[in-house]
Amino acid sequence: MTIPSILFYLLAALVLGATALAVTRRRAVHAVLYLIVALVGMALLFLLLGAPMLAALQVILYAGAIMVLFLFVIITMPEQAPGFEKLFRRRWLLPLSLCLVVGLCLLPLVGSDPAASIGLTSARLAPRTFGIRLFRDYWYAVELVSLLLFVGLAGALYLGRTAKKAGPPTREESR
Amino acid sequence: MYLYLTFLLLFPLAGAIIQLACLPLGGYRPPRRLAEAVACLASFGALAMAVLAFAAGHGGTFHLVLRKWLTLPGFTSEMSLLYDPQAALMGLMVTLVAFLVHLYSVPFMRKEEGWLRYFFLLNLFLFSMLVIVLADDLLFLFLGWEGVGFCSYALIGFWYQEPANCRAGRKAFLVTRIGDAALLTALALLFSRLGTLSLSGINLQVAGLPPHLVELTGYLLLVAAMAKSAQMPLQVWLPDAMAGPTPVSALIHAATMVTAGVYLLIRFLPLLTLAPRVMLTLAAVGAVTALLGAASALAQRDIKRVLAYSTISHVGFMFLGLGAGDMGGALFHLLVHGFFKSLLFLGAGCLIMLLDGEHDIFRMGGKLRRCHPALFWTFAAGIVSLAGVPPASGFFSKGEILAAVFQQSGIGYRFLLVLALAAVLLSSLYGFRLLLIVFFGQPAPGAPQDVKRPPPFLMVAVLYPLALLALTSGLLNLPSSTWLSGYLGSPAPQPGWIMNSLDTLLVLGGLGLAWLSYGPADRLGLRNPLSLGALHGPLLSGFGLDRLYLTCVARPYRVLADLLWRGVDERLVHRGLLAPGYFLSWCGQILRRASTGLLSTGLQGLLLGAAAIFCLLALRWWS
Amino acid sequence: MIVPFGHVLILAALLFLLGACCAVARRQLLMILIGVEIMLNAAALAFVAAALHWGRAEGQIFALFIIAVAAAEVAVGLALIVAARQRTGSTRADDFNRLRG
Repeated sequence: MTIPSILFYLLAALVLGATALAVTRRRAVHAVLYLIVALVGMALLFLLLGAPMLAALQVILYAGAIMVLFLFVIITMPEQAPGFEKLFRRRWLLPLSLCLVVGLCLLPLVGSDPAASIGLTSARLAPRTFGIRLFRDYWYAVELVSLLLFVGLAGALYLGRTAKKAGPPTREESR
Repeated sequence: MYLYLTFLLLFPLAGAIIQLACLPLGGYRPPRRLAEAVACLASFGALAMAVLAFAAGHGGTFHLVLRKWLTLPGFTSEMSLLYDPQAALMGLMVTLVAFLVHLYSVPFMRKEEGWLRYFFLLNLFLFSMLVIVLADDLLFLFLGWEGVGFCSYALIGFWYQEPANCRAGRKAFLVTRIGDAALLTALALLFSRLGTLSLSGINLQVAGLPPHLVELTGYLLLVAAMAKSAQMPLQVWLPDAMAGPTPVSALIHAATMVTAGVYLLIRFLPLLTLAPRVMLTLAAVGAVTALLGAASALAQRDIKRVLAYSTISHVGFMFLGLGAGDMGGALFHLLVHGFFKSLLFLGAGCLIMLLDGEHDIFRMGGKLRRCHPALFWTFAAGIVSLAGVPPASGFFSKGEILAAVFQQSGIGYRFLLVLALAAVLLSSLYGFRLLLIVFFGQPAPGAPQDVKRPPPFLMVAVLYPLALLALTSGLLNLPSSTWLSGYLGSPAPQPGWIMNSLDTLLVLGGLGLAWLSYGPADRLGLRNPLSLGALHGPLLSGFGLDRLYLTCVARPYRVLADLLWRGVDERLVHRGLLAPGYFLSWCGQILRRASTGLLSTGLQGLLLGAAAIFCLLALRWWS
Repeated sequence: MIVPFGHVLILAALLFLLGACCAVARRQLLMILIGVEIMLNAAALAFVAAALHWGRAEGQIFALFIIAVAAAEVAVGLALIVAARQRTGSTRADDFNRLRG
């Protein structure tokens, strides 16, 4: 029981708990906030796993920008009048059972793989090395990703323009 | 000779076919007089050929092969004829009665719509009966056997608009079918053993057959004859067969078809005499039927049903005679019975027509005697012959049978003799009951009163020759004359004077009893339908055999048929065939729920697929 | 030694399954999107752990790419949700069923 392992398990519990809470909240705002907690926990995990640059980027980009974007959208959209989404117990049956099945298949799989039992040794990738590797060896991927970001920007701009309001949706499918 | 025999068969067949050409198809109205003339000419031609063949035969035996019929590996059947003295006599009687019935039918059918069908069937019947009479090859005989069965069914149900008539026809056909099955089994047994289906061939080889086979075949032939000749317990179809036209009853159910059973046994006599137990059974069936038939006739109200039961009783006498080994006596009684019974039936037909369809004897009455003496005297002649009053022919024929039974040793035959004597008494009793109630005394209130119209000439004219024959044909076989006995086939056992006097005593006793009970003065107060008291029910209904057959045979068959229809065919087969279709349809319904168009369903499907793939990979990794 | 490699992978898998449940079982479009985010994040965790296990930097680089792609996708997704909300006034997933399958 070394300190890193204790830390790992603590952080794992934190992340799992926060994610579980985020998934089961009725109000979207609460879910996003729990998710931010989980993402910060993930950043700490990255740090533990020897990726300080990535941990920082996780906090800045993921928890800082993406989740904030979520919050913006939630703020600008009023909730629907009837109020909160009821948590529909029966709908969880299929996903939970499938997850159980997959989990049951997974655990022995991981257990039996000899590579999986090797302990991870502490290491640290310096940000400098990270940057050099990124921009020197994978510059084309960086270019492509930036192109993708540009497309996303253009699409969001286009979709976000004010459009004519249509009527309320008609329920065409019987439940 | 051969020409005569060929034409004997061809005339009625040709008559039937020509009449088919007269079918009213497509608006063409058939010439009625011409068609009727063709029918009567056909039967007259047959009669003429029978007479010529008889004259040319001189009591000899002739074989004739008409043509080959079936040729299979290991089996050939040809249409062959055996013309021996018995066939000669039988042919004469059949064609004579048939011709008279044809003449009678012309005015009888004057007002009917189906007259063409009637004459066609009558001619076809005559052909089939002559096939039975003449056939040597047993398959050919079976053709005739089935032919008469079919014509009988068609003619009983002639007025098919009434469902009761159709039922009667079906009943006759189905009961005689039992006999047909027995006959086929017997033929199969004989063929499998002897390799030939020729009657003369079989009769030559019977001595070589093992006894148990002889007995089995004998019993089968007995069953076949019992069904066709309406003996106990298969007699149930004959009283109901009276639903057909009266000339049909006269021809088919008095003189010819019901005697076909007796004739079959006569043809097979060489085989039957080898099995004494069969002979005893034959005699017993005959005696019991004679007695029970006579007793049933005492309770009937319908004139035709009285005559039907009388037929059953007299054919029983013929069976008794055969069972006692006396072929001549049985054949003689067959001929005589043919004459007087057809006479009685035809006379009854005249009465029914006069009274506008009245069958109930208690509604006929004395006026008939005064207004139509010809009818009365011919009918009386028939009754006298039926009862066996000497010197009418019935006396001689019955006497011969009684003598034959008396000559047989053994306790069984003695007992049967007692039964036969009782039947003789009852014959006389019911015969004179019929005569007295129909022609003497007051009719019941409400009976038709207008009886003065004369019946058609032809209908009455045919009664005279029959009456003459009924009265006098006994004289042909007097003890002193051997002319007919040569044809009858065996030296006639002559009844001694004891038997003769006993016979006469019984007959006259019956006459006296009938006069007392049913005479016009009605001294004993018995002149009503229910005079028999408690016996009336069973005697009227034929001892409940109808109901027995209905419960034991017809109903289980119906239940089984219903079960096979509803249970097997409908449920198993039909629904079973539809089941895969329903199943596929149900599967489709289940799958339909997957395509909802909702986003959630799509996501669920996605998750499901991903989980499935992952599990598959995991399983492959493990193994 | 921190933890066995398998444990991290199991954690990543559990997070992934949680995200899948959220995406499948929730009716609001936003929650579906959040589920997708959780899934992406779990994948990134797995990559980082693998990078540490094999001693390569590529794992972390790819985790960065995952974050970038997630950002682009969220932008477009949220824009879609806003547009859909503006047009039909509803954010329930089941209301957008006119495409039928």
